[in-house]
Amino acid sequence: MHLTGYIGLLFGLLASLFLAAWAAIAAWTERYEGLVLVERGQLAAAGGVVLSSLILLVALTSRDYSFMYVADNVDNALTFVYTLTAFWGGREGSLLFWELLIALSGAVFVFSPGYKSLAPRTKLYFWTIFLTIQGFFLLLLTSWSNPFIEVVPPRTDGRGLNPLLRNPGMIFHPPLLFLGFAGYTIPAACALAAFIAGEKKSWIAVTRNWNVLSWMFLTAGILLGCWWSYMELGWGGYWAWDPVENASLIPWFAGTAVLHTCIIESRRGALQRSNVFLMSLTFLLCIFSTYLTRSGVIDSLHTFGESGVSFPLFMCMVVGLAVTLVVVFMSERHVTRALSEFLSRQGLLVAAAWFLLALGLVVAMGTMWPVISKLWSPRPLGLDAHFYNRVCLPFMAVLVFFFCLCPWLGWKGGIRNMKGFILSCAAFAISFGAFYATGMTRFWPAFGAASAVGAMTSIVLLFAFYPAMRSLRRNWGAYGIHLGVALVALGIAFSGPYKVEREFVLKKGEVASIEEYQVKYLDLVEDSTPELRARATATLEVSRDGSVLGYLAPDKRIYVNFERQQFAEVSTIFSLGDEIYATLLGLTEDDGASFKLSINPLVNWLWIGGTIMSLFPLLLLRRIARPGEKGDA
Amino acid sequence: MAKKSNKMVYVVAMLLFLGGLGYLVVSGLTQDSVYFLNVSEALATDKADLGQARLFGKVSPTNLDIAEGKLGASFDLVDKVNAGQHIRVVYKGALPDTFKESVEVIVEGVFDHDAGVFNARTLVTKCPSKYKEQSEEMERSKG
Repeated sequence: MHLTGYIGLLFGLLASLFLAAWAAIAAWTERYEGLVLVERGQLAAAGGVVLSSLILLVALTSRDYSFMYVADNVDNALTFVYTLTAFWGGREGSLLFWELLIALSGAVFVFSPGYKSLAPRTKLYFWTIFLTIQGFFLLLLTSWSNPFIEVVPPRTDGRGLNPLLRNPGMIFHPPLLFLGFAGYTIPAACALAAFIAGEKKSWIAVTRNWNVLSWMFLTAGILLGCWWSYMELGWGGYWAWDPVENASLIPWFAGTAVLHTCIIESRRGALQRSNVFLMSLTFLLCIFSTYLTRSGVIDSLHTFGESGVSFPLFMCMVVGLAVTLVVVFMSERHVTRALSEFLSRQGLLVAAAWFLLALGLVVAMGTMWPVISKLWSPRPLGLDAHFYNRVCLPFMAVLVFFFCLCPWLGWKGGIRNMKGFILSCAAFAISFGAFYATGMTRFWPAFGAASAVGAMTSIVLLFAFYPAMRSLRRNWGAYGIHLGVALVALGIAFSGPYKVEREFVLKKGEVASIEEYQVKYLDLVEDSTPELRARATATLEVSRDGSVLGYLAPDKRIYVNFERQQFAEVSTIFSLGDEIYATLLGLTEDDGASFKLSINPLVNWLWIGGTIMSLFPLLLLRRIARPGEKGDA
Repeated sequence: MAKKSNKMVYVVAMLLFLGGLGYLVVSGLTQDSVYFLNVSEALATDKADLGQARLFGKVSPTNLDIAEGKLGASFDLVDKVNAGQHIRVVYKGALPDTFKESVEVIVEGVFDHDAGVFNARTLVTKCPSKYKEQSEEMERSKG
């Protein structure tokens, strides 16, 4: 089976390279009858990748330890769900999972009405680019990152999955990121192909659903990563500005910027070149993200194994960027349209794109600073979280503030609804004053929180003033996402700078105070399960002004296969205001226990807003009209 | 003419934007940059040049003192490559679950040149997202 799995990938590689060359020649010589072979060939190549993926999946579920990958990532005690997730839990498997999604995207795209509506020449250029990307991934999988290496003799048990990874976050976080990354392949290849071929049909309309879905998956993946970090990893928060965390945020900024600039092209025909560049850049930043996590070029909190794929990934970025620049600047000049005045809805959309791209640039530069600084410093200089907070916070706050103003401006300029404009600005000003008066005296967090209130007011007023808006699904989608953004901003503005954290050593019956809350250590219970050799669960009673608010039950556990290490499970008392969060740090010899307690104000609005951001894009999906059919594409 | 004036407004807005961005980035780079050093690099650096720093290394199995209840530790941080080189680190605060001997950690803080120790303000153990450390852990557990 090892060989069959490998041959599936090898077949996919050879087919992709052959078909990419075939498509390029056919496009160059304008012999469009070759297109059928390419389309069928992609289905066959995808079939090879699917076969290999199935073989790996079967090997994982049957715990076939003759596969090195299975032996490295699974053990006999691992539950079925985490055995399945090991497919994307390891280095080689995650790359195969990404490639599988690319191959399936290509196979699905062939049958989509959007693809069918493209001109044959565009299709051929699309396949040239797409198949080259697919071939590159298959080259990695058949050479530097082969998941089908055999172990002789096979082991009787594997090495298993680290307990920190046994969390629902592991089930959803990585595949969602990969879905986002892989999804961007289609719009990026389509944008470049349409620009080269001078396609009449708008690539933005054709790939709109791919673009929206990729953004949605990437957003959901990042959000789940934050939640996982908050609940499991004990880094004291949801974002540590770590290189590996930043790696997925950088393409997200570019992907968000391009969604906004695409609106301008769709409505006004402007920014055609910029959009092709930004779409391709978003995809290349997904590659950059993988490069950051797997090259070991930057020291990170995450221990990702270094592998031979870093140089090929780096070269892929360089070549991809060069090709993009050549296409954007050398292709036949397209229609150019001037932008409307700056203080218009269009102008602020352009400004929002600048802000998003600047944020992406700042995060990328900050992350790579230890490498960049080596150009003049003998010792690497890095940037800590203060740098990101100093630079990113004002930009994010102003970005959210734009949303108080933007909906009330006309597309070409002027204020289209003065009442709404004034009310939204008033909501911003009053809430800013109120936050300041209630002790939120740091300027940018208060500005960000007030902008969020202003933005939410804007959205509610828009739907109140324009009843016709309520009947359009896409309005619910677009404004729903922005409502989610405002809630996330509100959650971050409070829970970031105003989090309070304390550590205590308590004996049973003792009470500790944190802010206006009293926490009493009641009891400690010890037990075990088949998976856990030992578990100690503390019970804490939380009260305020004499009334009991709830109980916390943080635990400390030792897993059967990891006896030399203890793991903590945090406990929280859910609240839309202050969330109380407890970790059991350790037990002391005199029957006491040490705890880390924190008060996280409004943190749950971050998860609620993030969930809204991750679900409302579904309302933006549109049916694309088939060729010759009248539709809204 | 209208197009030209629009363009000017965009150019001015872009300049303001870049000015703000540049100011924030430069002030951030001058105030928030810290040395990112391995232990061997830190030892090779003139102590007078070293103030705030982020150090990468491993927790030495010897001389490891963990406070009761896991609220703080002092330990030797050894270089990942050259195990002979180490710096004494003192950290007061909650230790991460995965903190133990031989684990890779990142500490951030300042050197106390008089005491000859590195006072860590933050201590983070590497997330075992992947495989090598985890494998070694399993081998030891089962061994």
